[in-house]
Amino acid sequence: MMTRAAIVVCWVMAIALALFLLAPLLVIAAASFSPTPVFDLPLTGASTRWYGKIGRLDGFWPSLLLSLQIALLSTAISLVSGTLAAIAIARGKLPGAGVFATALVSPLMMPGLVLGIALLQGFRAVGFTAPWATLLVAHLVITLPYVARTMISGLARFDFTLIEAARTLGCTYPGSVLRVMVPALAPSFLIAGIFSFLASFDNYPVSIFLADVRTKTLPIRMLQYIEEAPDPTLAALSTLILAGTVILLFVSDRVVGLHRMAGTSD
Amino acid sequence: MSESSPHLVVRGVSKRYGPTNVLDHIDLTIRRGELVTLLGPSGCGKTTLLRAIAGLAQPDAGKVELAGRDITNVPPHKRNVGVVFQSYALFPHLTVAGNVAFGLKVRGMAKREIDTAVERALSLVQLGHLASRRISALSGGQQQRVALARAIAVEPDVLLFDEALSALDRKLREEMQVELRRLLQEVKATAIFVTHDQDEALTMSDRVAVMNKGRIEQLAEPRELYLRPASLFALNFVGLSTRIAGTVLAADRGKVDVQTKIGRLSALGNFQAGSPVIVAARPEQLRISERGEANSAAGRVRSVVFQGSRTLVEVDAGAGESLLAELSGRDGTIPRVHDEIRLSWPVTETFAFPMEAQA
Repeated sequence: MMTRAAIVVCWVMAIALALFLLAPLLVIAAASFSPTPVFDLPLTGASTRWYGKIGRLDGFWPSLLLSLQIALLSTAISLVSGTLAAIAIARGKLPGAGVFATALVSPLMMPGLVLGIALLQGFRAVGFTAPWATLLVAHLVITLPYVARTMISGLARFDFTLIEAARTLGCTYPGSVLRVMVPALAPSFLIAGIFSFLASFDNYPVSIFLADVRTKTLPIRMLQYIEEAPDPTLAALSTLILAGTVILLFVSDRVVGLHRMAGTSD
Repeated sequence: MSESSPHLVVRGVSKRYGPTNVLDHIDLTIRRGELVTLLGPSGCGKTTLLRAIAGLAQPDAGKVELAGRDITNVPPHKRNVGVVFQSYALFPHLTVAGNVAFGLKVRGMAKREIDTAVERALSLVQLGHLASRRISALSGGQQQRVALARAIAVEPDVLLFDEALSALDRKLREEMQVELRRLLQEVKATAIFVTHDQDEALTMSDRVAVMNKGRIEQLAEPRELYLRPASLFALNFVGLSTRIAGTVLAADRGKVDVQTKIGRLSALGNFQAGSPVIVAARPEQLRISERGEANSAAGRVRSVVFQGSRTLVEVDAGAGESLLAELSGRDGTIPRVHDEIRLSWPVTETFAFPMEAQA
């Protein structure tokens, strides 16, 4: 029974891989409840005191606020401009649409470090140095490819005859877009938004080149904490971010289905 | 409005895309309750004409009137037309009932009236039991019916079908043709079908408009279209025929004598002596006979194709010309390949068309 053996091997591999990927996250979650400043297994009890300390971390709130601002704003701008660009690429008779699409998505394939240095040099060269604004523009470069890629594939599956059908049924043109195109593309919007938000929120390699002492995003601040005082407060914070992400994914799975997010099927 | 008064009038409608005349001064008048097919090869302008009637394509010139109203410059959402698209264009985020209700909701109809109308439309297409299904859970034939129900539900002044049956497989398509015609007659709908399928055109319509290069070549009832094609194009596009090239020898009151490579033939038509023409006849007019009456030609049987109720016999008449005869079982013996036979056919069923019009 060669095939049965192969199936068993595959399953063992899959489970081992999943454990390997999840184990560090579980350790972080466990460490966040550690009663002592030094994390040690087995746990001798549980405590939530590290969670209470998160808010008292030096510079935590400004960094969280900054990261949320940059992530939300860059996602919003990317959603609008990325969707418009995707429509032009998927629908219009744009000459060189393929080249344009590749260029739009190319930052995805660029190492963050290279992108960061390039942006820093570029911004300096044109005298654009305001940290908050440079961060936002840099994060647009990071988030736009996620939105563009998702919306191009979403639009490629969208049948524009639907809009004509809605119009003949009594809808104005804007009404048709609103009643037919937007709901049909809602899953794509949601997926693009989530990916874009997460890509911006946890970006380190690009942000590090553009941040200054007063303008530090949360990932930069967290790395600084771990250098200064490696106690379970950071584990607690990481666990919270993890929980937030899980909730986000769970909700969107309820709404559109994770298999669509992974792009593995309709 | 009476049954025979014009319901949809297309006057001199033209449309160009770049250098191509997609529609070339189209005139078309359709009566209330009439089922008309626009038949032609791809690129003949039939879909553009349909879109011009629906308001999805703006003609460069001409007028469109529907139910006594000039709608030339009326946007599609105010035209009160129903369109069934080739891809069905059903809304994937709505249920079957949601799709059918769409047009009624947009019109701001009360919820209770919408429910009644949706129920009625779905029962017309026999899909009442699938009202709460998702579109993706339906078969192609069922989706087609939903598209039809959605178009009918808004009680449009005219129903437009853009190759609506072409995505179905052959058997289902033939069933739908008959069912659709019955249904449309039942609800007294005025409808225009666009198709390149001659069987669909002959089955579904009261009148057929054969279109070619942006013009209507012939607008006639299916029977007349088949028996009296107005042009070589119409003859070729609908049904089979024997076609032989020749030159007019003599003309006399709607009849011409034509010299062809296989002998002298007589045909109906008005031509001057010396004109190059194509002489044509439908295959069921050709009979095996030894008599020299009417038109006749001899040759060797090249192929015999049995098609159930009929048998198609192709005869090599020499000089590169061939004859096509349709013989039914009642005609006695069916010849075999390589048999030498003589076929004859009546002059009154022989047409002559100008040679240069050949597409």
